[in-house]
Amino acid sequence: MKTVGAVIFAQNNSSVDYIKLAIFAAKQIKHFLNIPVSIITDSADWMLTAYPKESTIFDQIIKIESTSTYNQKRFNDGTLSSKFLEWKNLDRNSVYDLTPYDKTLVIDSDYIINSSILQNAINSDHNFQIYKDCFSLSSWRGTAEFKNINQYSIPFYWATTFIFEKTVDVKSFFTLVDHIKHNWQYFRTLYSIEVPTFRNDFAFSIAIHIMNEKTSGMFAQELPGKMFYISDRDLLISIEDKKMKFLIEKENYLGEYTAASVQDTDVHIMNKLSLSRFIDGGLGV
Amino acid sequence: MSNNKGFVVFAQNNATVDYIKQAYALALSIKNSQKEITKISLVTNDKVPKKYKSAFDKIIPIPWNDDAKETEWKIENRWKLYHASPYYETIVLDADMLLLEDISAWWEYCSNFNIRFCSKITNYKLENVIDTIHRKSFVANNLPNVYHALHYFKKSDEADNFYKVLAYVVNNWAFCYGKVAPNEYQNWLSMDLSCAVAIELSGMQELVDVNSPLQFTHMKPPIQGWSVSPESWQDIVPHYLTSTGKLIVGNIAQDKIFHYVEKNFITDNLLRELEDLTNGK
Repeated sequence: MKTVGAVIFAQNNSSVDYIKLAIFAAKQIKHFLNIPVSIITDSADWMLTAYPKESTIFDQIIKIESTSTYNQKRFNDGTLSSKFLEWKNLDRNSVYDLTPYDKTLVIDSDYIINSSILQNAINSDHNFQIYKDCFSLSSWRGTAEFKNINQYSIPFYWATTFIFEKTVDVKSFFTLVDHIKHNWQYFRTLYSIEVPTFRNDFAFSIAIHIMNEKTSGMFAQELPGKMFYISDRDLLISIEDKKMKFLIEKENYLGEYTAASVQDTDVHIMNKLSLSRFIDGGLGV
Repeated sequence: MSNNKGFVVFAQNNATVDYIKQAYALALSIKNSQKEITKISLVTNDKVPKKYKSAFDKIIPIPWNDDAKETEWKIENRWKLYHASPYYETIVLDADMLLLEDISAWWEYCSNFNIRFCSKITNYKLENVIDTIHRKSFVANNLPNVYHALHYFKKSDEADNFYKVLAYVVNNWAFCYGKVAPNEYQNWLSMDLSCAVAIELSGMQELVDVNSPLQFTHMKPPIQGWSVSPESWQDIVPHYLTSTGKLIVGNIAQDKIFHYVEKNFITDNLLRELEDLTNGK
């Protein structure tokens, strides 16, 4: 009998409490997908102190070492506020060894499950499923930048959400991601990636491309539907009864927003600060 | 039956381009990639170097007169390929192409028909593209989006009739384009537009078959999905041939047929690599 479950990575920085986001994301997974959820974190002791009751939602708490290596990036909070913060995202490739499950759904802590659509993917026989196509809730922003890793290169895949089963091929894939991570400057030059910062999406995209023998192969099956997202320049208002409400940045009107909502839809809420405010019990604005 | 099947390529050098050399590279790529049909005949009036000759099944002079003596692009003779082909079933290719993967399944599909044209292309990222930049007349006149650079024919009454119409269009292109493709009028002869016009005139629209597998990668820079179109695609993305004969362009392994377009693509080095692959080195 194969075991199935979800894992969420949570590595706090000075301003974003990823543990809090992970607890919320885990509740959503349990509610809509009814599978056990484990957390992979470098802040387990702090979690057990800060969230002694809520942390019981996790099937297992998997501890990793706190790393001194991390990226820095700008975290926007709507259109008028931003901070430069640490971004600890370098352990994603280790999920193959860390997960306690035979079949694992991996999600970012800011990916909010609000439907049962991924149930179909969990029941599917494919060994590796991931989102390729995405849908921005901002109609004017478009998604062209996420079609390929850049205009000269290969298809873009989202490391935000994926499902894998432990097989020899999938193990090779994660080994490859690790190799790409450790030789990032070489691979980013090879694939004409301008930004120097390591990004899991890019490393996954390159590894999938190589697993596909550098052509349009079948290693990665696309997850059902598209990956819906709001940018960190947008705001979450509320999540209630399968319905999410947002304020979406207006084009050419700094500080102004348009209201939008979705129902029965999972959404990648890139504005972690807004999501955090909502979880604290207020509106995310 | 494979004895009666083969590829045909037309090559007529001009002052600047050695099409015979390109046809030789194509012939080598066919030997390297095809499992069943490896014969290729060259239609030319030009001198073929001794070294190149062994790559071709037959070297056939251009039938009748050379109608392209005075022109640079030299396409006025292309309609004669049907009559020049020594094969019962033929796939016509442009000289500036390479075959990279086995296309035996295409022969099987096409043998159900008398003529099939390619109407689908991709860019090097293997994305399907519709070229509206170079094909304004096709769009403006709602013409079938065919590519003469890759098509199939079987010696048959239907194909015979079609090539008669095509010969008429090529020899009277200005008149025919004016009648059938008056919008965005193209004031120069091209085989693609001539084929589209011939299909319209002959009422043989079924030759453009959405289920047909015929497809190639077209390397004209404006259809590569880049924000700025360079003069040469080779200035933007690197390419190399692997030891197993895979052509990697911009880190992407190209499939089936690669139409490189640019005349300086076949370097002496690349030709040597293709020769080594053919000789099993």
